[in-house]
Amino acid sequence: MSEKRKYKKRYCKYCEAKVDFMDYKDVGALRFSLSERYKIMPRRLTGNCKRHQDMIATVIKRARAAALVPYTVTRKQVVTAPFENLR
Amino acid sequence: MRNYENLVIVKPTFTAEEIQASIKAVEEIITSNGGEIAATNAMGMKKLAYPIEKNERGYYYVIYYTVVPSAISEIERRFRINEDLLRFVTIKYDTNREITAWNQLVQKAQKASEPAKEEAPVKEEEAPATEAAAE
Repeated sequence: MSEKRKYKKRYCKYCEAKVDFMDYKDVGALRFSLSERYKIMPRRLTGNCKRHQDMIATVIKRARAAALVPYTVTRKQVVTAPFENLR
Repeated sequence: MRNYENLVIVKPTFTAEEIQASIKAVEEIITSNGGEIAATNAMGMKKLAYPIEKNERGYYYVIYYTVVPSAISEIERRFRINEDLLRFVTIKYDTNREITAWNQLVQKAQKASEPAKEEAPVKEEEAPATEAAAE
């Protein structure tokens, strides 16, 4: 442990907000756990706890089936940070 | 009896009356199989995240209802036959936590639909304009 910790300690934002239930129709709330290509962000990056990660995963999959959130985003459709992947 | 929620996407090529008629048909399917509709929520015409059957948009409609679990397979079978629907999503609310969430969602939907019911005759003309503004 001589090296410094690279990232600061992560905490679960959903635990902090005491989320008990997530609605798949509320797309804005899902945005936090989605990458810019609408992949589900891994727990090691978001810091979600296991319980809330499981919840968000099922909710995102429901939203995908309901065509509220895309399954895949091709290179042309990426909008939020268009030059991110060219670096 | 168990609590369920069904999201239905109706084809965008229909006129407003045809959409209302097909939604009536959907509700008819649920009630004829012994379901009790608790609340409905019209999310309106929305852009789909990806094209379904070459359609870019769709009319979203959510129905909250309670029904005997064995009736769900029949309801879903009828939905699959129905060609007016692009997509349907059935969600089961089973655990205590989910049921309280379901009650909250129903109350929310009822509050949203109550003022709309009073001005129901005017609504048909108003609806497209307000939906366009919301988008």
